[in-house]
Amino acid sequence: MFLHQLNPTMKAFTIVIIVILLALIFDPITPSILFLTTIILMFVGGKVNWKRYFLYLLPFLLFAFGMFWTTLIFAKQPDLPGQTITILTFDFPRESFIVALALAVRVLSVAALSLLFIFTTNIVHFILSLIQQLKLSPKIAYGVLAGYRFLPMMKDELKVIREAHRIRGVNQVSTIRGKWSQYKRYAIPLLASAIRKAERTAIAMESKGFTGDRSRTFLKQFTVSGKDWLFLVIMLTLYAVAVYTSYSLGFLKLYDGEL
Amino acid sequence: MTNWRFKEIVVLSALSVVFAVVYLAFLPVGKLLFGILGPIGYDLIFGIWFIVSIIAAYIIRKPGAAFLSETIAATIEVLIGNAVGPMLIISGMIQGAGAEAVFAATRWKNYSIWVLMLAGVGSSITSFIYGYFMGGFAALDTGYVIAMFVVRVISGALIAGLLGKAISDGLAKTGVLSSYALGKEVRKGKVA
Repeated sequence: MFLHQLNPTMKAFTIVIIVILLALIFDPITPSILFLTTIILMFVGGKVNWKRYFLYLLPFLLFAFGMFWTTLIFAKQPDLPGQTITILTFDFPRESFIVALALAVRVLSVAALSLLFIFTTNIVHFILSLIQQLKLSPKIAYGVLAGYRFLPMMKDELKVIREAHRIRGVNQVSTIRGKWSQYKRYAIPLLASAIRKAERTAIAMESKGFTGDRSRTFLKQFTVSGKDWLFLVIMLTLYAVAVYTSYSLGFLKLYDGEL
Repeated sequence: MTNWRFKEIVVLSALSVVFAVVYLAFLPVGKLLFGILGPIGYDLIFGIWFIVSIIAAYIIRKPGAAFLSETIAATIEVLIGNAVGPMLIISGMIQGAGAEAVFAATRWKNYSIWVLMLAGVGSSITSFIYGYFMGGFAALDTGYVIAMFVVRVISGALIAGLLGKAISDGLAKTGVLSSYALGKEVRKGKVA
């Protein structure tokens, strides 16, 4: 599977570039094309659980809708107030409508690009590749990996704290205010136990000879190969095609530098 | 990074992991407020997303703590998955840099409540500039954008600065921080 075999750092780099380039575009056609092609690319080049994929995409639809109507309402005074579009008997300036649509679709296409990264990248590989390609300090990288391991433990820890509170006679609450004060009561013990765990882990790692030295060797080597540059070229080509199509249809609108 | 103990780095990442989860939990809250109030809804609670830089810097008190913790928290958010993707790491770095700049201005010496609140404001400013370009705020009405900025600054000072200090002080009282700068200060009796 092409997308899964790419170098994680290069994949992240490529996606960040495309997202930055997208931020320069203020028309709906370019991000729409990019949104669809990203999903197609995901379909062709990745092995994905589609149900899970669309479940992740769903909240972004809601977010895009919020982006759409708020931009429509809070938009700047348009240059051509004469041209309007009617939605549900309300009149909106055509220009504001197009910008609102553009920002909403931009949310979706950025979401699709991000999911492409998340669904095809192994977390540990990403961090190991950051050490090897970006010269990230192993001290920080392994510190992060150790911290990341605490994540599943936190759920158990929360359960332990909750049960410890209940056994001492603190009852479960159902009101929102009660829930809030409950979380306030959980926060400090949860953080304290995380800090203790982190401390113990650090001492264990150092006692087993971890120095954080850069001259270490790796079981898994990551390199940047032709495939990674090919991915960058594919993504830039998709972007260029999207911009050109939008331009030919007369929709293209770039960020004009106004503040 | 040479004067950092490895222990401090792991504790910093553990804090970042906890707050990455908190950050993710607040995303739907932000989305809800956004849906009701428009983009300004996010700004109301934006301070929560800077809180780890304030807490980490206040506890560990070493150059880079604010920047690093926010960056790691953003990275963990990306790794957990339900987030904005690798771009988020960059916004985390920008937020962390805002708080770090304030601590740097005091030469990482002063951690009074005003400095902590100012650090929250620092993150508000840098994140707003970034959001202005990436979020397309240029398309919005100028008065509305100014209101968003003011709300975000207040949120940064109150939620990140004040709440961050309250959480750290609460933690210090439990004694787990005894080998870090904040815990040592508490033991000396400087902070009630």
